[in-house]
Amino acid sequence: MPPMETTAAPVKIAGMRVETAGARELPAQREVLFDVKDLRVTYAGVPALDGVSLEIYRNYITAFIGPSGCGKSTFIRCFNRLNDMIPSASVEGSVLYHGEDLYGKDVDPVEVRKLIGMVFQKPNPFPKSIYDNIAFGPRVLGMKDGLDERVEQALHQAALWDEVKDRLKESALSLSGGQQQRLCIARCLAVEPEVILMDEPASALDPISTTRIEDLMHELKRNYTIVIVTHNMQQAARVADKTAFFSVDVAPDGNRRTGILVEYDDTSKIFTTPADKRTEDYVTGRFG
Amino acid sequence: MSEPRPPARVSFQEELDQLEAALREEGELVLRSLRAAVEAVCSQDVELAEEVIAFDDDIDSQYFEVEQGIELLLARQTPVASDLRLVLALLKDNLHLERMGDLCTTIAKLTKLTKGLPPDDTLLEGFKEMGERAEQMIRVALRSLQQRDRVAAESLLELDELIDRANRRVVNRLLEIGHDLEVREWGLRMILVSRCLERIGDHAVDIGEQTAYLVTGEFREFTDASH
Repeated sequence: MPPMETTAAPVKIAGMRVETAGARELPAQREVLFDVKDLRVTYAGVPALDGVSLEIYRNYITAFIGPSGCGKSTFIRCFNRLNDMIPSASVEGSVLYHGEDLYGKDVDPVEVRKLIGMVFQKPNPFPKSIYDNIAFGPRVLGMKDGLDERVEQALHQAALWDEVKDRLKESALSLSGGQQQRLCIARCLAVEPEVILMDEPASALDPISTTRIEDLMHELKRNYTIVIVTHNMQQAARVADKTAFFSVDVAPDGNRRTGILVEYDDTSKIFTTPADKRTEDYVTGRFG
Repeated sequence: MSEPRPPARVSFQEELDQLEAALREEGELVLRSLRAAVEAVCSQDVELAEEVIAFDDDIDSQYFEVEQGIELLLARQTPVASDLRLVLALLKDNLHLERMGDLCTTIAKLTKLTKGLPPDDTLLEGFKEMGERAEQMIRVALRSLQQRDRVAAESLLELDELIDRANRRVVNRLLEIGHDLEVREWGLRMILVSRCLERIGDHAVDIGEQTAYLVTGEFREFTDASH
């Protein structure tokens, strides 16, 4: 049949696609913040983690998942040299931060921990007032100007200000668990870090507090880079842009268990079409 | 080097298996409906056509059962990775099967509408062929899903070409006999029957596409031409 003749202007369909802006906004340009190469961590000579290489991107949320003993907590502690605190621990390979060796001779670990803060599994506020908890870090680091404003800003950023603004002099221990964890995040933010490391930040919290922490992470990633260790796979799926799956390699004699990086990819890929069978088995709950 | 582990998420796996079995059952119902619809139109059996129409309720209730099972599973088990792809594929395949059932009903209704009108034997032969091809396609679609067989799923495209050709032959035959006032009304209705059978083939291809997605994790249409 010959094509129908028409005098009407053609209806355009192409080009009508509407761009959807979601919570998963990422920076236009991906910038490598940490470049980890062939990392090996041993405790008293026994490897806890071996052969790990990956890049962490600026303003991304990166999640580490994996079964117990896979070395994910060991790994996250390498990003702000917390393993230095353990006398028997030794770190080989390299962790570059902005291209500089984080473990270089001239690098001051205290300066590292100011730029790269850490929030732990259990909220650990100091037994001091809410205000002093936040002001502690800036005071120690000599950031004494405008302390009140700094405290207020940190509490705002941690979405805690409205709940505590009338009770700043009260003990931090009077806060609920979820509030205490946000206080710890505020304490971390008060010294103007660039990176926030979170080791199971919500595992001791109830579901509502967990949701608040996750919402907060989405807010914070505009200005910070976040790395999170989580046992909760759905949490990784909800919050992370990139996900790394770690597993345990058991030596043939069964005596040695070493953490290894199995797969590192976009979170959407890890949870829909993981490339490695071990990742698939773990995320689908067939192994763990 | 992993030591043997006890099976995990047993009840979840059972639920998934049950859903897949329920979908296969729905496929069997559609096959019965299709056979009866083609038989009814070819033998102008109005009674059988009415049975086909009534039988669609059975397909629909099976469809709802699968649909509700998927809803519950999504809410309670939050499947991911290949489990998620399977559930999504089942969700869509379920709809395709239900649509096939509807198309069989349409054929049955057209059979009722053309009661007493003189048929054309050549066309009836064409419908028989299309019906057999559609049946074969449904079987291949269901089997390739069950066996996670991407190659078999992709073979549906070739089978679809055959049913499309049969459809074109039916249309050409109708153009030939269109001048005959005796068969014109019957013929006009029968164009729709041909179209329904051809669409059933398209739905089988769509099920094949879902199987390929399930296996590879990448969705692509087998052909970019609209069916």
